[in-house]
Amino acid sequence: MRNRARFAKKATEFSFILPALLVVLLLLLYPVLSSVFYSFTNKNLIKPDYEFIWFENYKKILTDPMFWSSFWTNVKWTAASLLGQLLVGFTGALALNRIKRGKGLYRTILIIPWAFPSIVLAFSWKWILNGVSGFLPNFLVKAGLCATAPEFLSSANLVFPTLVFINIWFGAPLIMVNVLSALQTVPMEQYEAAQIDGASPWQSFIHITVPHIRTVVGLLMVLRTIWVFNGFDIIYLITGGGPANLTQTVPIYAYNLGWGLKQLGRSSAVTVLLLSFLLFVCMQYFRLLNKWEKENP
Amino acid sequence: MKKKKILHRGWFGSGISYLYLTILSLMAAFPLFWILLSSVKSKGELTSNPTAIFPKQFTWDYYHIVFEQLHFGTNMRNSVIVAGSATLIAIVISALAAYGVVRFFPRFGKLMTRVLITTYMFPPILLAIPYSIIMGQTGLMNSLVGLVIVYLSFSVPYAVWLLVGFFQTVPLEIEEAARVDGANKLQVFLRIVLPIVSPGIVAVAIYTFINAWNEFLYSLILINNSEKMTVAVALKSLNGQEVLDWGTMMAASALVVVPSVVFFMLIQKKIAGGLAAGSVK
Repeated sequence: MRNRARFAKKATEFSFILPALLVVLLLLLYPVLSSVFYSFTNKNLIKPDYEFIWFENYKKILTDPMFWSSFWTNVKWTAASLLGQLLVGFTGALALNRIKRGKGLYRTILIIPWAFPSIVLAFSWKWILNGVSGFLPNFLVKAGLCATAPEFLSSANLVFPTLVFINIWFGAPLIMVNVLSALQTVPMEQYEAAQIDGASPWQSFIHITVPHIRTVVGLLMVLRTIWVFNGFDIIYLITGGGPANLTQTVPIYAYNLGWGLKQLGRSSAVTVLLLSFLLFVCMQYFRLLNKWEKENP
Repeated sequence: MKKKKILHRGWFGSGISYLYLTILSLMAAFPLFWILLSSVKSKGELTSNPTAIFPKQFTWDYYHIVFEQLHFGTNMRNSVIVAGSATLIAIVISALAAYGVVRFFPRFGKLMTRVLITTYMFPPILLAIPYSIIMGQTGLMNSLVGLVIVYLSFSVPYAVWLLVGFFQTVPLEIEEAARVDGANKLQVFLRIVLPIVSPGIVAVAIYTFINAWNEFLYSLILINNSEKMTVAVALKSLNGQEVLDWGTMMAASALVVVPSVVFFMLIQKKIAGGLAAGSVK
């Protein structure tokens, strides 16, 4: 009797989380497993029949120079974007934390890029940077900074830095707002005490601010690394991986295989490799975060 | 003497801060302004004088083209239906789950953060492959229902994560008092807890809606019938048509981005701290 009551209680409690659990199992876990499954087949986008070819897909991919160049572009793209986002986001947060008047207004304006749909982000920047009648190239010529209008999105030298700039523009607000709320959890008294002891602002920053917020900022960087590394929209919509595959990242390489060449099986293998790499990188991150958490609970 | 020095340093530092923030703000806001201004400038002006800021001749022509020739209204309706349904379903599922985790499975909380981060790691391009196969098999290709189901894959984990932070702020005593009065778990949840966290739920709902409204990859892969296209894919399809001018593209862009920005500004305070607040732990 008592056991039955306890079971009923547990069942009620469990029913609260059941629907969410089903979403995770059916819409996330099952598709990942089925991707792993298809990565061992020659599944085609249009034909329903397929055969097992085991490691053939992986062999083809890992010996394809195009895969490796996409991979390195992806690493560079992620590292440069994140560094820039962190730098701009962090300094922006410090500045916002410093000022007294107009904080809300600045914050409201500064988060605008965060709300941009990727397609609108792509259209607006393509229009601003357009080599013929875009604002920026014409402005630079008019101001005498450039002799001819620079081709930001089609010149081999400019296209990568331009994309990174756009990604920083898009991602910095998220970092800024989260760092700002982390900064506001640092107790004021510690700064006052440090100042009385004669600590310089730089010393207070290193010894008080950084240890307090590094776990939050660290987790934030894990999430952003994943997000940027997996990112498809921005590059696909602005350059499509061009010119001459210069800006092709792994997700775009996978998309072209799957929906361009219709080879879903091989495309699955690429995405499985992508996920494995991310799992590996994140494990290293978590090791570091756990260490920090132990030092500064 | 010392105090004065500190005061001086503070004034100088905040001067630089204001300057820096003003520059950043101009850069953050410029594309939005440029979209809006380009969408109302006459055709000649856009190409003849690319650096002029304000239009000499104001026009609504592009907006007429967007609605009357491109039937963008249909796409906007599709997006509202898809994002709205996905949000509604996701919020119900997530509110239950977040409450369940906070009240009944607190130890599960840390594990759940790990699970959520792991699901966050799944590349959308990886999920897109099985989604397109499954939707093809079940006849849900080119259907808004299929898109709603797929959207739950990212809305639910994110909403649970944000909502956990809000549910943690509800004091246990209030619930216990209601339990003593004989209310069951579901009643306590619906009548006591939900009203307390409703501002948080509204904020999370709006955020979920914006994310679904902005989504691109899944709708690119699952929808290719222009009648069923959401705004993001419909906009993308404009890009291929060389006849279209930038003014039309900017007018359509404005219709997509303005709601996102406005709603996001309204809820930013509630959402933004979420990651740094309790939900991380």
